[in-house]
Amino acid sequence: MKPKASVNRPPTPDVAENAPEREPTLQELINIKLIETGEKERLMELLRERLVDCGWKDEMKTLCRAVVKKKGRNNVTVDELIHVITPKGRASIPDSVKAELLQRIQTFLVSAAL
Amino acid sequence: MSVPNEENLSSHSQLSSHFFLDLLDSIIVDVASECHRVARLGLDSNLEEEDEELKLSAQARVRVADPSNSNEANGKYVVDIFGQTHPPVANEIFDCMNCGRSIMAGRFAPHLEKCMGKGRKARLKVTRSSTAAQNRYSRGSPSPGSTYSPYSNYSTNSMNRLANGTSTFAGEEHSNGTLES
Repeated sequence: MKPKASVNRPPTPDVAENAPEREPTLQELINIKLIETGEKERLMELLRERLVDCGWKDEMKTLCRAVVKKKGRNNVTVDELIHVITPKGRASIPDSVKAELLQRIQTFLVSAAL
Repeated sequence: MSVPNEENLSSHSQLSSHFFLDLLDSIIVDVASECHRVARLGLDSNLEEEDEELKLSAQARVRVADPSNSNEANGKYVVDIFGQTHPPVANEIFDCMNCGRSIMAGRFAPHLEKCMGKGRKARLKVTRSSTAAQNRYSRGSPSPGSTYSPYSNYSTNSMNRLANGTSTFAGEEHSNGTLES
């Protein structure tokens, strides 16, 4: 009796789990394709180069240093730095860099959709 | 037919914006963690020194541009980079190795111009070596009646000084009295 009961249990949770997983398939599927084709890594490196070239990274480092001085180097955490930097970092992205990256991502999406 | 294309374009733009923000957040996290590591490990002490140097250079630039500071510089004494004060004209006194007079260091160059008969002004006056020599002697040199050439006179004075042991040549003087250049 016991072996049969244990054998019968696994199929039920799989069926239940499959339902919520299917809904966000589109973004996750495209993300998986980005990673598999290596395009995500290429985009990441390109973005890093562009941001270093335009001085964005140095500005971010200066902001981080200011926060460290303010709170003391022993009291600061990575989450605090991220919390301070993220809004300013997003706002200070140059339009040219953003346009270039968005264009490349759209090109990839079009090719992936086909 | 156009409706699906518009939907695709709008969804593509939304998706691309979404992925761009993902990439950007990843880079922001990288920068934050890098700076945090540098701060906790104390690797940015050099940067602090550089910041201090930048501040000092900025202050120096301001000080140079300030007219009141330049007035101080134009005053009687000048302050050098080591904080020592110096008179505007060097006032150390030493004997001229050519004619034996006492000369201030700051006025030695124009004195040499006259004393040795060389330089910008003396060149116009010189027509003959004997004439120059006579002019030099007539200025009150210790041997007005001598007929030696200027260079022999020079060597005579140098020999006298060597005998006295009070020579001020740039060469190195040994205890036995010989002089090496």
